[in-house]
Amino acid sequence: MVLRDCRPGSHVRLSGLIGSHPQRRRLLELGFVPGAVIQVIGRGAVGGLVVGVDDARLALDARTGGSMVVEPIA
Amino acid sequence: MAVGTRRRPAPCCPPAEAPTAWRDRTGLSARIALVGNPNVGKSTLFNALTGAQQHVGNWPGKTVHVATGTLQLPGAAAPAQLIDLPGTYSLVPRSPDEALVRDVLVDRSGSDRLDLVIVVVDAANLARNLYLLAQVLDTGIPVVAALTMLDVAVTRGLDLDARRLGELLGVPVVPVRPRARGGLPELTDAIERAVATSGRPRRALPIAPLGADIEQALGKLIDRITERSAGLQPVSPRWMALELVAADDGVAPPEAAADLMLQLRPDADRVRADLAGRLAASADGLLAGAAELADLADTARADDLDGDIATAVAERRYEWVHHIVAAVVHRPAGQRPTVSDRVDQVLTSRWLGVPIFLAVMWGVFVATTRLATPLQHGLAAVVDGPVSGSVRYLLERVHSDQSWLAGLLLDGLINGVGQLLTFVPLMVVMFALLAVLEDSGYMARGAFVADRFLRLLGLPGRAFLPLIVGFGCNVPAIAGTRILSDARHRLMTSLLVPFVTCSARLTVYVLLANVFFGAHAGTVVFGMYVLSIALVVLIGLALRHSIFRHHPREPLVLELPPYRMPTLSVVGRQTWQRTKGFLRTAGGIIVVTVTAVWLLMSIPLAGASGGFGHVDVEHSLYGGVSRVVSPVFAPAGFDDWHATGALVTGFVAKEAVISTFAQTYGAQKPGDLHQAGDLGTQLRASFDRAAGGHAVPAVLAFMVFLLAYTPCMATVAAQRAEIGGRWTAFGIGMQLTVAWVLAVVVFQVGRLLT
Repeated sequence: MVLRDCRPGSHVRLSGLIGSHPQRRRLLELGFVPGAVIQVIGRGAVGGLVVGVDDARLALDARTGGSMVVEPIA
Repeated sequence: MAVGTRRRPAPCCPPAEAPTAWRDRTGLSARIALVGNPNVGKSTLFNALTGAQQHVGNWPGKTVHVATGTLQLPGAAAPAQLIDLPGTYSLVPRSPDEALVRDVLVDRSGSDRLDLVIVVVDAANLARNLYLLAQVLDTGIPVVAALTMLDVAVTRGLDLDARRLGELLGVPVVPVRPRARGGLPELTDAIERAVATSGRPRRALPIAPLGADIEQALGKLIDRITERSAGLQPVSPRWMALELVAADDGVAPPEAAADLMLQLRPDADRVRADLAGRLAASADGLLAGAAELADLADTARADDLDGDIATAVAERRYEWVHHIVAAVVHRPAGQRPTVSDRVDQVLTSRWLGVPIFLAVMWGVFVATTRLATPLQHGLAAVVDGPVSGSVRYLLERVHSDQSWLAGLLLDGLINGVGQLLTFVPLMVVMFALLAVLEDSGYMARGAFVADRFLRLLGLPGRAFLPLIVGFGCNVPAIAGTRILSDARHRLMTSLLVPFVTCSARLTVYVLLANVFFGAHAGTVVFGMYVLSIALVVLIGLALRHSIFRHHPREPLVLELPPYRMPTLSVVGRQTWQRTKGFLRTAGGIIVVTVTAVWLLMSIPLAGASGGFGHVDVEHSLYGGVSRVVSPVFAPAGFDDWHATGALVTGFVAKEAVISTFAQTYGAQKPGDLHQAGDLGTQLRASFDRAAGGHAVPAVLAFMVFLLAYTPCMATVAAQRAEIGGRWTAFGIGMQLTVAWVLAVVVFQVGRLLT
């Protein structure tokens, strides 16, 4: 499952980043490291996502949301 | 786009102004930089620490705004220099602003060396802020951490132990409340103690350990770097080693390191040659070291999806960070969604996000056009009334009210200053709105919502704002490009704004459309707006695929800072600084140009009746120039000196186009644009004459030219302030070319059709 497919309100755990995302390293540095807990807060008009990682809130576009492999937290 | 959020309350500044102050250490006891994530209150802290003692400007050789100031430490003989570096998430840069932060931090050469870094840490977002702090520790510069936003953390129910945080980090941690000046004496003390000991050798600097396996491999690489770079005083070997092994995919480490070193030490030619040689010689060794380390990391993490070293380093650093956060932050059980999250569920939502964004943009547009108007009229009345009146009275007293001096003062200088002043309310309103949008946190949401649309032009979402404001006036719009954190985006937006048709151009459209198109005037004016938008999109696409084709096109990753009530002090300070900057850099150009036009209109051509200042426009140098330029517009159907004359004044200010028409035809300026009267008859006659009976395509061509060419001198001045003289000249060339070509096409096609 990728982050883009997650419902607003859900909490998921990041398994890793797939594909050659140009900001791959920056995403890691912003806290999107394997094992990080991501909270899906909202979804924008064209597939963008608002997510929480640690205490930060970040807006991601659909492509970025599609490059994050996640697993649901029970 | 690079990750970016609200810009720091920033400085505006003529590039020329920044000269030696940055590098000159004479009379300074220490050199200290403020580093932190965006939106952590870094600039507020800087302002609180330095007070009025600051200097804002571009960093030498860069288009990055940086503020410096001085800070008097209690026990020091001389003040210390404090540098407010741009906000950054990492020392691995993704934009010129971020690159500057890295360069300043790792440049250890002579006088540029920093003695101390104050890392500003957001208590409400501790983990990511500590990540940056860990990187700063790796550079080997002494660190003091200033802990901000504790109040925000408290409202979220977080309980943070600052003393314990300091113990775990190994650096002094001082809680501060810069807006209330809280904690500043303690911070100054900590800075003083750290500066006093910063020169002394110490046993070990605090670092963020990356785990036994990585550290062991890293140690070998550090030894190798230390050995190879002996005597060169390079940046911290640990930082170099990490930079080497965790270089971005596709970049071979030795090249990356060589590039890096060359970038960092551009001033030292000898060192450069020496270093490049040594690096080349040791490339294999370094590669082997890096490979060894990568192997180690790989085996350690074979089970991972991304078993590469960059991931491993980031992950281990976050492990360290989370370990510390867990030890110092106590969270309430069962956290509820924050207010910001609930607001975001509306403001960025699928259905409401776009309408709300458009409404906010509409509000900004209305405010910059309507709110400023009465103020503008008031200022103009003061200049035209009491100011001009008293100068005229004084001149009468000395019996020189008919002289050239009277003309120069009244019609030249005072008129010019008056025009400049009418922009001030516009700028103030614009800058205040920008500050409110940024300080409240909405700007980042708007950027997220609009991102998809501007992405087509290669611009980030927040470029929407200057473009919208441009429909009111291009001048504040160009100044408003400062909300873009990347200089390349500022440049491109500044080049596009002049094609946004402003309200001053509207008055000319309305007059001409009513004279020539009668009942269809509204449609024609609407058509001009459609054309304007089409031009912005097409020229944007053209620029994106030509001079800006090398710009990285990056997916959106944007921080959304928590919503906050904008404070008067932040908004006021930012508005004042930016308005001051506009007046300083744009003021001169506007006054000089208005005076120059007056001069041209006053100088009689040879053989004309009437002396200096007493000649009619047709026989002035101005009329002469217009006649000389005029044939250029023959292919566009308006080879007529009245039309050209109006375009020449229109270059100075579009507001002056109609009055120039009136002046050159010797007609009354119409009080109502819909009833042009005598002026209308004369306009029809002269367009008919110039276009050989094809007045309609000719006037359309004229309007299209008016839309696309340089909006006014004030825009030129604003552009010069934002993007420099060379790009401004490029922009003018592009506007004139596009305008002329379009006008010719409109006339030639129109002539065939009518």
